Amino acid sequence: MKFSFNWIREFTDVPQSASARDLERLITMKTAECEGIEPVGGLLAAACIATVASVEEMPGGHHRKAVVETERYGLKTVVCGAPNCRAGMTTVYVPLGTKSIGGVESDGMLASGAELGINRDAAGIVELAAGETLDRCSPDGVIEIDNKSITHRPDLWGHYGMAREVAAILGSELRDPIGMDLLPAGNAAIDVSIADFSLCARYSALVFENVTVKPSPLWLQYRLEAIGLNPINNIVDFTNFIMAELGQPTHAFDRGLISGATIFVRPARTGESIRALNGEDYDLAETNLVIADASGPVAIAGVIGGEAAAISGRTTSIILESANFQAASVRKTSAQLKLRTDASMRFEKGQDPENTTRALARAVALLEELSPGIRLVGGVADGRKPAAEPPVIQLPLDWLARKLGRSLAVADVRQILERLQFGVSESSPGVLAVTVPSWRATKDIAVKDDLVEEVGRMIGYSSIDPQPPALLASPPKPDPKRLFHRELRALLTGIGFTEVYNYSFVSLEEIGRFGFTAAEHVAVLNPVASGQELLRTSLLPGIRRNVVENTRYFDSFRLFEIGREIHRQPAGLPDEPAHLVAVVHARDDGAPGLFELKHAAETILPGAAIRPVAARSFEHPARAAEVLWRGETVGRLFEFGPSMEIDGRTAVLDLDLRKVGRRMGGESKYTPPGKYPSSEFDLSVLAGLREHVGDLRAKVAGFAGSLAESVEYVRQYSGPPFSEGVKSVTFRLRVGSPERTLASEEVGAVRTAIIEGMKGLGYELRV
Amino acid sequence: MLEATLSALEQSARLRINGAKSLEELEAVRVDALGRKGTLAQAGKEMGKVPAEERGRIGKLLNAVKGNLEEAFATKKRLFDEAALKARLDSEWLDLTLPAAGVPRGHLHPISKIQAEIEDLFISMGFVVLDGPEVETEYHNFDALNIPAGHPARDMQDTFWVEGGHVLRTHTSPVQVRGMEELGPPLRMIAPGRVFRNESVDASHDHTFYQLEGMMIDRDVSVGNLTYFMKTLLGSIFGREVTVRLRPGFFPFVEPGFELDIQCLLCGGPGCAVCKQSGWVELLPCGLVNPNVLRMSGIDPEEWNGFAFGLGLTRLVMMRYGIDDIRQLQSGSLRLLNQF
Ligand SMILES: [Zn+2]
Repeated sequence: MKFSFNWIREFTDVPQSASARDLERLITMKTAECEGIEPVGGLLAAACIATVASVEEMPGGHHRKAVVETERYGLKTVVCGAPNCRAGMTTVYVPLGTKSIGGVESDGMLASGAELGINRDAAGIVELAAGETLDRCSPDGVIEIDNKSITHRPDLWGHYGMAREVAAILGSELRDPIGMDLLPAGNAAIDVSIADFSLCARYSALVFENVTVKPSPLWLQYRLEAIGLNPINNIVDFTNFIMAELGQPTHAFDRGLISGATIFVRPARTGESIRALNGEDYDLAETNLVIADASGPVAIAGVIGGEAAAISGRTTSIILESANFQAASVRKTSAQLKLRTDASMRFEKGQDPENTTRALARAVALLEELSPGIRLVGGVADGRKPAAEPPVIQLPLDWLARKLGRSLAVADVRQILERLQFGVSESSPGVLAVTVPSWRATKDIAVKDDLVEEVGRMIGYSSIDPQPPALLASPPKPDPKRLFHRELRALLTGIGFTEVYNYSFVSLEEIGRFGFTAAEHVAVLNPVASGQELLRTSLLPGIRRNVVENTRYFDSFRLFEIGREIHRQPAGLPDEPAHLVAVVHARDDGAPGLFELKHAAETILPGAAIRPVAARSFEHPARAAEVLWRGETVGRLFEFGPSMEIDGRTAVLDLDLRKVGRRMGGESKYTPPGKYPSSEFDLSVLAGLREHVGDLRAKVAGFAGSLAESVEYVRQYSGPPFSEGVKSVTFRLRVGSPERTLASEEVGAVRTAIIEGMKGLGYELRV
Repeated sequence: MLEATLSALEQSARLRINGAKSLEELEAVRVDALGRKGTLAQAGKEMGKVPAEERGRIGKLLNAVKGNLEEAFATKKRLFDEAALKARLDSEWLDLTLPAAGVPRGHLHPISKIQAEIEDLFISMGFVVLDGPEVETEYHNFDALNIPAGHPARDMQDTFWVEGGHVLRTHTSPVQVRGMEELGPPLRMIAPGRVFRNESVDASHDHTFYQLEGMMIDRDVSVGNLTYFMKTLLGSIFGREVTVRLRPGFFPFVEPGFELDIQCLLCGGPGCAVCKQSGWVELLPCGLVNPNVLRMSGIDPEEWNGFAFGLGLTRLVMMRYGIDDIRQLQSGSLRLLNQF
């Protein structure tokens, strides 16, 4: 929302020395966020009115030499290219120094509306009507306020409201531009029928006749142009002007195009549609409130007018609507029709119903100037739900002081609230009864907490000293899951892995590559970009992309991510288990990456086991396994298969941290080391080439019995003297007892038990 | 007679020991002189011929010669050993400027780094760290935060909607609600996490970023307490005393609501490009918790109140490390990550 500094100054006195920049700082600190200041109308500082005395064509036909009588600089000769430059017209002269054009010394220039910043007309020089002055056209500063920061302040969507705020900040007087006595008394020329007061709290209207549609005076065009509204004609312009001044949207209907003498405010009927002023057709539903005449909708309430009763050059009589529509209803309609207008934006904030007739009074004053000869027809039509009593809030001052963290004198609080036009009385000692003005009562101020802000911002938050809380803090309970995730990060970075963060979104294409189906994913209903259609059920697509992209710059690397998978559930929120995915990528061939990751898994989960399983479609068919931890599958260890289209080999570890985290913890328990020496011996088992060493080891350990302290893998070997398809796997057994030194016969017995046992399973042993 | 032999024997053995050029030569001398069949042993056999009254003296002399030669031998041997050790060690010279063995350390993501730092700071001040789902209910993300359907503030955040009427959380504030529901007052909590906005992406906007929400509920929590915690937090993050200011800001879940600005760390106030010549940098929204929010989570606002703030973790990381493109942070690019 843009505010003209000059416009605000019409309503309240700002110190002469203060600039738009100073005002912007005040508003920023006390009221709302400013996004910047833009100077406009700079040329107007030196400009003055000039009458063209004579015009003379110059050779070539493009330019003319004009002699002008200026109000401030005397007689001047200028060269002017404007086609509308003619003797006798009144225009604007700007001194710019002298330069020679086509052999003529041109001293300054005659300016167009666009050059002056008054309007967007660059086709010719600006033309003043008889008696028109430049009194209200001086250089201005436009302050842009962030709309989000005044979402809760319907009253600040107009210059008068902002001026009221400035007056409160500065303690200066506020001048109300409205003369309510201008409103005609008597019966209205039209009737208003409101179907539901909850959707339309008030609908006021006034009829004018003998209307002339023509350009607005320059001062009004300049006000609108400064804040970014394009001046069109007096009728369009005055409604925009009133909205920018009072925050109250109004709408003018061509009375001649309205059938009947009643304006209906009602929900649209099924099947109704409307062609709006933007040229678009809208199908309406019963949730859309419309303004209708006897034959159908003529406007979408609070959003946009219809073409059927639009103002045109032929308009001679208008019905001026100034109404108050329910914020939620306007917002819903505007969202549903995807149509946001200056009017809907204001109604959405919850406008003050008291403002409708004030806007009409302002219109009466303006139209007398903008459309000379205009006449009022009848009195004000005014349908409304009975005005609510202004809310009164009890504000205990000690409570206020505790909230702010600073004490305040009653008189100071009172003065602040009164400057903001709250009604204040002391209802009991130390408690103020605060009456909320109508323009703050629609949504903004409802409870005493809202008044904390009013007082706080006016005294300035810098006047409150930082204070530690009076209460003692107790140490929070440790969070094992968080600690575990942190340990993981420290451990993995310590052994060479770099942490990545990937998005929670995956594309259909990506999940297709992994053989996942869209149906198992949570779908995003309104993605803005492609690739955001689904939520990830696995961290693998993301890390695969990281691998592919990093291979452009690096031959080998290690990455990991700790993040959440998102799994849809039959009802309720999705399940979001945290996962760890770690990868080792190397351009050259080999399998060490998998063993590096197995080592990482065993470091994270001491005692974890790896169980080879059938590969999934995206895994290397001969290199896939599950990670088991205390009897439960908690993850997978595999290599990406060829369908991943990665240059090089990528080993992957994927752990479900929720399963792991749940089982973490538990204190260590100490057992004293054995006092008696143990014995060692090696055994080699002959087995098939693809027989898993892990299985063989488990079998050997099974036969070794309770005296075996450890069964360690030493090496495996295939080749001569063993026959093809056979390998020899060597294990080292350590046997002992915590109670005594074993006799050599006892050690021998263990050895024999293993040999016999393995032979029983059909294995040959080399001993 | 034997006496003279011993003396000569000692002298010649000493000469040979001292003259030995190698350990082998020295060993040969030792065998010749001190071995079982060596010259000294041979001399010992002559003891029988020595008269009985001389035998004690000559015996002592024999032992003395033996001891002297052993000592000379040991001394010489030590010289050889030392030289040999020195030579071996010298041959083991290594170029320690060669690259280290093993895998070089990896790198923590900068967001993890800063998040851990801030978590530790708040834990030390008695705050718990809470977590919430990334896919949230509409209730927790909006309604319970005083943003009912139809509230214009819903337009302030472009929301990703997912099936089931749920949303991708647009802020970490719903964790406040979960904290209040689960733990009740008094409460000190922070909630770091990933949030989502459905908007187009450029160097300073991403659809996914990280926030850290904080909340303290107690009796008589004031604006002064809020400023105290914010100053402490920011002082610790930036590693020096910071100047902050509060100005009005509108967020439906707080009342009053503030924008907290920090005095520009680059220019210190006079104004520069970073602070857009204003001397201040907008850092975080905060405020006193709106009584409606407390009430909806079952907390009596007449008895309890509190403050809440939302820190942009991603933004902080970008400020701290001078990262000028937000998209880099979730790109997985090692060229970025290797720098941390
Ligand atoms: Zn600066």
